[in-house]
Amino acid sequence: MIDELEAMLRPPALEMAPYPPKFITLASGEVMVVRQASIDEVDTLLEVIDPLKHLHRDFYDIVSARLYSELLGWKVHRVRNEYCLVGVIDGVLAGIVNGRMFDERHGISYHTLALKRGLRVGAHLFAAKMEHHIEYLGEDEVWIVAESPIGHRRWMIEYPLATKFEIQHELGGAPSWVLTRETYFKAKPRLVVGTRPVPQDLLATSRPIKKPDLRTMLVQVEDTLEARL
Amino acid sequence: MPATVNAAKCKSCGALSYPMHFLCPKCGAREFEPEPIEGEGELLTHTRAYALALDYEQRYLTLGIVQMDSGIRVTGQLAIDEPRMGMRVRATVGTVRVTGGSEISGLIFVPA
Amino acid sequence: MRDVAIVGAASTPFGRSQWSLLKLMAEASHAAMTQARLGDRRIDAVCVANMGSARNNRQAGLASALVDRLNLFPAAAETVENGPASGASAVKVGFQAVASGMSDLVLVCGGERMREVNNLEATEFVSYLSHRYAEYPYGVTLPALAGMFARLFMAKHGVTAEHLAMVAMKNHANALLNPNAHIKMELSLEGILHSPHALMNNPFVADPLRFFDCCPVSDGAAAVLLAPAEMTSDLTDRPVRIAGIGQATDTQAVHERPDPTELTAVRIASQRAFEMAGLEPKDISLAELHDAFTILEIAQSEEVGFFKRGKGHIALAKGETQIGGRLPINTSGGLKAKGHPVGATGVSQIAELVFQLRGEAGKRQVKDPRHGFALNFGGFGNSVVATILSRGF
Repeated sequence: MIDELEAMLRPPALEMAPYPPKFITLASGEVMVVRQASIDEVDTLLEVIDPLKHLHRDFYDIVSARLYSELLGWKVHRVRNEYCLVGVIDGVLAGIVNGRMFDERHGISYHTLALKRGLRVGAHLFAAKMEHHIEYLGEDEVWIVAESPIGHRRWMIEYPLATKFEIQHELGGAPSWVLTRETYFKAKPRLVVGTRPVPQDLLATSRPIKKPDLRTMLVQVEDTLEARL
Repeated sequence: MPATVNAAKCKSCGALSYPMHFLCPKCGAREFEPEPIEGEGELLTHTRAYALALDYEQRYLTLGIVQMDSGIRVTGQLAIDEPRMGMRVRATVGTVRVTGGSEISGLIFVPA
Repeated sequence: MRDVAIVGAASTPFGRSQWSLLKLMAEASHAAMTQARLGDRRIDAVCVANMGSARNNRQAGLASALVDRLNLFPAAAETVENGPASGASAVKVGFQAVASGMSDLVLVCGGERMREVNNLEATEFVSYLSHRYAEYPYGVTLPALAGMFARLFMAKHGVTAEHLAMVAMKNHANALLNPNAHIKMELSLEGILHSPHALMNNPFVADPLRFFDCCPVSDGAAAVLLAPAEMTSDLTDRPVRIAGIGQATDTQAVHERPDPTELTAVRIASQRAFEMAGLEPKDISLAELHDAFTILEIAQSEEVGFFKRGKGHIALAKGETQIGGRLPINTSGGLKAKGHPVGATGVSQIAELVFQLRGEAGKRQVKDPRHGFALNFGGFGNSVVATILSRGF
C-alpha cells in the first residue's frame, strides 16, 4: 500500500488514450513495430540507454541522461501524464521517444533517441510522437525544443514548426516551438507513415523487448549516414 | 548586384554567352557589352532541391535550366508550383539568396 | 616515358571517423608503403589529393604536413585540388613524375574529413563546385544539378526510378562485402520505392533523385605507391601497371553544354585513356565509376563506351554490372555505399582496382581480372579523369 506521504508525491494523472500500434517497412526491408511501451518495460529501456549517457556525440549524452531520468520518473510516479513509444525491429529495440500531456490541449515533446541509425528510425518515431499527441491524445498543439541545433533546424523546416516563445518549455533552455493541429495535418501525408492494425504475430515479436547488442549499437550511433551531399 | 542579370554580348562577333567567359567562346575576342536576360524561353529541366545551404530556411527550392528565345541557356529559380519540361516560362529578377544579411538578385522564372 | 607500376595500395575504413585528417592519411599511406619491399629506399615525392582541408579541417599545406607526419623528409610535397576528381588527378601527377624520370618513388594519398563540419556545411562546401555567379547564388547544390540531369536523362532514355534503385541496391550489396565501406546496409526495393512508407524512408533530395540515390558524406583516406617499371620486381611480386590515363574538362555551368544529358568530358577522358592503354571498353574486366548519384553510374557506363547510349540501364537490369556479371561496376560499393570522402575517392577507386587485379578483394573478388577502369568525376562533370590499370607487366 502506498502510504499517505507517497500519495502526496504522486502527481494526479489525466486519462490518456492509448497509442494504437503500427508497423513500418524500412528502407532495408526490415519491419519496425511502433508501439507504446509499458511501465514494466522501463527497466529494459534504462539498461539500453545507460551507456549512451557517456557518449559525447550527436547529443547522445544529454538526450540519454534526460531520457533516463524522465523514464525513471515515469516508473516511480514522479512525472505526470507521461508516455513512451518504442520502435522495435525483429524484437530488438531500435528507438525511443517520449513526451507528456501538459494538459488536455497541450502536449510536451520530450526526447527522441535513435539506437539504430541510417534507416530514419528517429524521424519515424518523432512523427509517431506528433501523431500520438494530435490524433490520439487529441491535443491542439505540441511544444517542442531540441538539444541538437541541426535536428531542431530540420524539424523547424520540415514540418514546419512555429515559434511559441511565450511558453517556457519545461526542458528548460530555449523558449518553445510548436506544432499545431493544422501544421500536423498538412505535414502528415509526407511525414507520418505506418500501417494498422499490426498483425498479432508481428506485434507479439515486439515483446518482450530485446536489448540491441551494445557494440553494434555504438558503431551505429557513431557512424550515421543521415547527412548526404 | 544590379536588378538585371546580364549575358555577355561579344562586341566583335555578336555571340551571346552566359555566364561571361574571359574570351568569347565563339571568336576569342574579349570585349563584351551587357545584354539583359529577359523575355521568354522553354524550361528544359527542373528539380525541387531539399538539402539546402544554411542561407535558406524554406523546405525546398525549385530550380531549372531554361532555353531562352534569345539563344542562351540559363540556370535559375522557378516560381512555378508544378513545373513541366518544355513549358514556356518568362524571366523575372528577384532575390534568390540572402547571405549574411545582404540580398542577392537573380533570375526567377514564372509561367509565361 | 617510363612505364609506371603501383606497388602498394591501401585504404582506411570510410565513414565517420574519430581520426584526424592527417591520421587518416598517415594510416592509408603507411599501409600502402609497407606493402612494398622498400629497404633503404626513400620516398621522393608525396602527392596529396584533397578538396577542403583548409575550410573544413583548418589545415592548409596538407602534403607537407603529411610528409612531416610520416617523417618522409625531405620528400617533395604537393597537394592537388581538383574537386571530387582530385584523387585521380593526384595519381596522374604522380604518374607523370615517375614516367618522366624526375622521381622514382611517389606516394599518392587522397584524404578528406568532411564530418568535421555538420551536414549543412558539408552540402554548402560541396556546392562551391558550382559556377560562382551563374549557379551558386541560386542555391544550386550538387544534388540539384544531378536532379536536373536525371530528369532529362531519364525522359530521354526511358530510365525509371526502379533502375536508379537497382544501382543503389547493387552497390549497397557490394559494400556489404567490403570491410572498408561506409554504408553496410542492404536496401530493399519495397522499402525504398514501393511500400507506402517509402516516401518517408527515402524522401526526395532533388527530385527525381531520392535520399538513397545520393552518396553519403564520408571521412576516409586511400593511398597508392608508384614506382618505375624497372624497380618493380624488387618491390613487389604482384605489380599493377598504370596502362592509361585520360583527362578532360567541360563547361563549369552545366546549362552551357550543348546537350546537358551528355557528359562530354567523360567520353573524351575515357577515349584518351583507352588510346593510351591500347585497349577498348570490351577489354575491361571491372570498373569503378563515380556514382555520387545513382543516375551517374548509368550515364557514365554509356559515355565510357561500355554500353551503347541509352542502353546502360538495360545492362544494369540484366545484372551485367553485378559481381559475376559481364562487367562488374563498383565492386567496392562505389561512392554510393563505400562512401565519398571527396579527395580520397579517386585514389580509393584506383586502390580497389589494384586489390581486384592482385586477387585480394576477398568476397567481392572478380574472377581473373586483367584490366580495370576507374572514372573520377569532378564538379558536375566539369573535370574528369579516367585511369586504366593492368595486371602485371
